Amino acid sequence: MGLVAGAKMLVHGDGRTVGSLGSADADEAMRDVAVAAFTATPRVMTATWRLDGRVATDRPSQAAEGSVEVMVQLFEAPARLVIVGAGHVGLALAKIAELLGYETTVVDDRPEFANRERFPMALQVIADEVGPALDSLTLDASTAVVLVSRGHRVDEEALRHAVGRGAGYVGMIGSRRRTRTVLDHLAAEGFPAAALEAVSTPVGLDIGAETPEEIAVSILAEITMLRRGGTGTRMSQGRPDGERLT
Amino acid sequence: MSLDLYRELCDSLAAGQPRVLATVADTRGSTPRKAGAQMMLRPDGTFFGTIGGGCGEAEVWQEAMETMADGRPRTVLVDLTEPVDGDDKICGGVMRVFVERIG
Repeated sequence: MGLVAGAKMLVHGDGRTVGSLGSADADEAMRDVAVAAFTATPRVMTATWRLDGRVATDRPSQAAEGSVEVMVQLFEAPARLVIVGAGHVGLALAKIAELLGYETTVVDDRPEFANRERFPMALQVIADEVGPALDSLTLDASTAVVLVSRGHRVDEEALRHAVGRGAGYVGMIGSRRRTRTVLDHLAAEGFPAAALEAVSTPVGLDIGAETPEEIAVSILAEITMLRRGGTGTRMSQGRPDGERLT
Repeated sequence: MSLDLYRELCDSLAAGQPRVLATVADTRGSTPRKAGAQMMLRPDGTFFGTIGGGCGEAEVWQEAMETMADGRPRTVLVDLTEPVDGDDKICGGVMRVFVERIG
């Protein structure tokens, strides 16, 4: 057969393909596996295409005679972070997000805070009213929106323009009481309850964060946990008894 | 998944410069990186990205340099279960890394 190691085929979500693995049969079989990978986890897997045309995606049988191992890898758009609020927490978020590889957009209506000098690491800095600024952005499943503005009135206005628009994550800073009030306002205005319930507020993981930088860690830890399917528990918890020190 | 890695790969392809791409294909047990992690090697031996660092990565680097020279794709089995003298492979897992020259 004409399959050689290193052959590649690119598969779009709608099934269109570019390139070939070297066999029309293999292309067709692997295309279906690849399309399924858009919605399944793990996002990288090894599939075995056998001579009889069947595909096995469980543990790869060490390539038997006449079978081909194909690695299926999902290329995702880089995760995006929209930070509403260019103050202390916003700046700490932008710094840590850069380290984590996010494409960051910073929004604040105060040009003395929302500017390139303060946010050289951001892809985009928008000095404008939060409503129109958010409306101008595409919020999709790979976008996280974090509301950390100077006050809950601005956060509330931002939430009106962030909730229910398809963002993978919407988080809003504030005390339990304050954030509850904001959610109640929006519910009274007719925003769907399910979308409001999905808002991560108060925001972040409980790590006892106090400084703006620690709060940024807490928020990005929560976003990472949700993206990667973590639990937020300590890795050292739940060790088997045999591993416990006595 | 690193956009910077792919940008450099595209740029070097366009410029006719080879790169070697090492991709963790699958893992068993505890390994520092999981399937999909990638490292890109340049002809001068410098690299971008990490597949876990340490001795495992050094082994893959060796194989990647050979792949740079002969152009033959290969699968490298990185065994982190056997502590070697003075070595520190304490992760305890095994990973297979696909190494290929691109361009």
